[in-house]
Amino acid sequence: MATRGIDFATLTIKDALDLALLIEEEARDRYQELAEQLEAHHTPEAAGFFRKMVKVEEIHRSELEKRRVERFPKEPRGVTRAMIFDVEAPEYDQARADMTVRAALEAAMTSEKKAHEFFVQALPRLKDAEVKELFLELGAEELEHQKWVQLELDRAPASGDARFDDSDEPVAH
Amino acid sequence: MTAAPLNPNVFKSDLKPIWCPGCGDYGVVQAIYRALSAVGRPPHEIAFISGIGCSSRIPGYTTAYGFNSVHGRALPIAQGVKLANPDLLVLVAGGDGDGFSIGGGHVAHAIRRNMDLTYIVMDNQVYGLTKGQLSPTSPRGLKTVTSMYGSLEQPINPLLQVLSFGAGFVAQGTPADMAGLAAIIEEGLRYPGFAFINVQSPCVTYGEEEQQLRAHKTRMKTLASLGHDPKDYLKALEWSTHYGRELYTGVFYKNPEPPPSYDALVRERQKELSKGALPRERILDLFKKG
Repeated sequence: MATRGIDFATLTIKDALDLALLIEEEARDRYQELAEQLEAHHTPEAAGFFRKMVKVEEIHRSELEKRRVERFPKEPRGVTRAMIFDVEAPEYDQARADMTVRAALEAAMTSEKKAHEFFVQALPRLKDAEVKELFLELGAEELEHQKWVQLELDRAPASGDARFDDSDEPVAH
Repeated sequence: MTAAPLNPNVFKSDLKPIWCPGCGDYGVVQAIYRALSAVGRPPHEIAFISGIGCSSRIPGYTTAYGFNSVHGRALPIAQGVKLANPDLLVLVAGGDGDGFSIGGGHVAHAIRRNMDLTYIVMDNQVYGLTKGQLSPTSPRGLKTVTSMYGSLEQPINPLLQVLSFGAGFVAQGTPADMAGLAAIIEEGLRYPGFAFINVQSPCVTYGEEEQQLRAHKTRMKTLASLGHDPKDYLKALEWSTHYGRELYTGVFYKNPEPPPSYDALVRERQKELSKGALPRERILDLFKKG
């Protein structure tokens, strides 16, 4: 997780909303990519969970977009996708060709924790009271997401992480 | 190259990558999208040339002009592209085997010509596409399908090699540090001459556990944090000797006074010679007359 070129001290509420929705957009796109990777490698169960996450992240993104448009219908964006790196998106290294649903859920949990950390760590650098309030709200939401992923984890089969199991060599196709 | 930044997704093609899940190359292509977006040149002004190998699939995953060419021959083809159309921003990509074994002879000449290219090598220390044979950067002792008892060969040091050939920009990164990797690729793209970027991009299927991105996160040290001045060529040589033992990232060397690139010199010469050149119709007449 990293950012580039964001001045948190001067972040406006408009840019903060845009940043938050870009974070959700990045996560949505990454889950989409991971689902496609796993489908291509015949791992439909974990891919199915990542597909679910695509929908979840899109809901979060569209909610933020709605707020943004209501508040600032015409104003252009002051932040770009190039400023964020894997804030809520699972890192590519989390995926494995033979990963289980449990491993996929663990990857999602790591991502929700990263996102929470991002909003909490930014707080001392924020100057705008409204932006601070938004970050507190978004940080709390990430905690709620963690609870949801934990519930899913509790329900998931207790199999070990397949990536550490002996498995056949990958076969080109 | 002072254009406004573009959305990184502008550079993402509809073709889905088929690398193994967890492969380092996924991060490299993302870093390339980010770097290209920061440079701000639209896809139709960019050409991306590669050789053969897992990493050489990368041009297809971008919306730039691309040529997934011949094993080890990405650099000569890229030089031809740049000479034919010097206005293009030309990137070259490949693996360590493509660049330092099969195409090893081309590296020195591309560097001494100093064409304005950015060469990104995805160094995974094995031939991944062909199922994990020894590559030129495989560490001594590595057990693979072609070295059952461990490699007896000393690996090539790509950083030291390109520095000694005289490359004006030499850097190393890892997808374990996406922001750092995007920044050095952007800097390489902006450098007016031959830029070399070695990316430690682990092979998740045939690579060693200590070469994976998780290990990079704990092993990597940025040269900036060690106080390295990229203008210091001798110090850059010294840092580069640690290749294979330490994972130093950032810019090793950046020539503070870049000499004119080959393509710039060609343009200059063409301008000079065109003063005394015959009109095109007259040249055709000479051919017709035999």
